[in-house]
Formats: sequence, structure tokens, C-alpha cells
Amino acid sequence: MAIGFVLMVGSIGAGLAGIATTSLNNRNSLEVVRNREYAADGAVEEAIAKVRATQTCTPSSGSVLDTSIVATGIRVDWLTVCPTVMSSGSTAYPQRNVIFSACENTGTTCDPAKVIVRAQVNFEPAAGTVIKTFVQSWSVKR
Amino acid sequence: MMRSRRDSGETLVEVLLTVVIVSLTVTSLLSSLGTTSKAGAAQRVGVQSDVVMRNYAEATKAAVQLQCVAAGGTYTVGYQQPTGYSVSGAGSACPSPNATTLSPLQLKVVDPLGRQLTMWIKVRTP
Repeated sequence: MAIGFVLMVGSIGAGLAGIATTSLNNRNSLEVVRNREYAADGAVEEAIAKVRATQTCTPSSGSVLDTSIVATGIRVDWLTVCPTVMSSGSTAYPQRNVIFSACENTGTTCDPAKVIVRAQVNFEPAAGTVIKTFVQSWSVKR
Repeated sequence: MMRSRRDSGETLVEVLLTVVIVSLTVTSLLSSLGTTSKAGAAQRVGVQSDVVMRNYAEATKAAVQLQCVAAGGTYTVGYQQPTGYSVSGAGSACPSPNATTLSPLQLKVVDPLGRQLTMWIKVRTP
């Protein structure tokens, strides 16, 4: 009976310690995920600023490596698409859209399953320069 | 008069020892409960801090998106943090629309327990 009592008390103590440890770990995980999301978010912003400088719309792709927030780097792969939008008066308006995919840098193209942030941005040109950018979609994947 | 073994009872030392052991056990259990309770409260504050940090970051990004229309402008972040929290680091100068490199901003949140959280973000003039 004495051994049973000791075991019971020990189990309760271990359980309580487990709860406290799990809570602490959960909080740390939350912080890591949040910082990674916003690092990817910042890397996409950086990539938009760099790609914006390109004036013409030609189907192209490339990547930007941002190491300013995460030491190992966030890689942003971008892909330019140049659709044409027709107005009601059948006037054609060429668009310059770029799709950005950000992931943790592994030295290779972002694996679609490991993309953290994906965004599609429209660049509005006027007189040879981009005067405005429009975020058409912005999704956090993981 | 002979006493049977069943009637002999416990000695004072045995009773005292039992009382000491039970007291120690109850004390340690109560202490564990107190620690777990504090850990739970800290966890709750930690989660709230995460929400405050995210909201502050989104408010900062939104302020730049809405208020920065040209180079040289400024923005103001209209975020009201919950009682007990303090926030800082959002900046106020609009980045140049044509900048090809963005400077990171370090956001800071201090929670009611005095812990400071930091996170880096980047903002861009649309």
C-alpha cells in the first residue's frame, strides 16, 4: 500500500511536470513558426522590390535569396506571366503579373510542398516605369 | 492484564514519521500544482503575446500600404495594444517605392510578465 501511494504521488508529479514542459515547448514552437512566416513575408516583399525594377514583361523566371532576417536565407522563386486583359470595348491591355514562392533556402528551387508564402503581384507600368503594385493573392502555406 | 498484538497500537515515533511523510507529500503535490498553474498562466500570456505581435506586424504593413503613396512620406501605425503590453519598432518613414533593397524593422512586444519578444519584418511602398 505504501509503494502504491508513492507511485501514485510520483505519477501525479510527473504528469504535472509534463504539462508544464509541453506548454513551454508549444510556446517556443509558435514563436519559431511565426518568425519563419514573417521572414518569408519580408523576403517576398524584398523580391517584389527587386523585380519591380525590371520594366518590360517577358515570360521569365528567377530567384532572390534574402539573408537579412534568417541567416540561412529565405529563397524566393519568381515567375513572370504576361496575360492580356480585354476591355468591354475590345481594347487589349497587356498585364505584367509575377508569381512569387518563398521557402527556406536549400540551394535549389522551392519544393511546392515546402513553400511558406505564395503571392501574385500585378505591376502597373506607365511611361516606362512601374508606378504601382497590386497584390492579387497572398497566401501563407505553412 | 495481557494485551493482544491487535490492541498494541503505534508508537509515537511511527505516528510522527507518518505525519511527516504525508505532510511532505502533500506539500510537494501542492507545490507541483502551483507550478503548473503558473506555467499555464505563462502559456496563456505567451499565446496572447503571439497574437499581439502578429496584429502589430499586420497593422504596420497595412499602415505602409495605405499611407505611403510617394517617396519621402511618413506613416503612423494605429494599433492599440491590450492592457499590460507595450509595442515598439514599427518605424515611420515610408520606404522609397523604387528601392531595390528593403531595410528590416525589428518589432518588439513586452508582455505583462516583462518578457520581450522580437520579430523582423519588411515593409514596402506599393
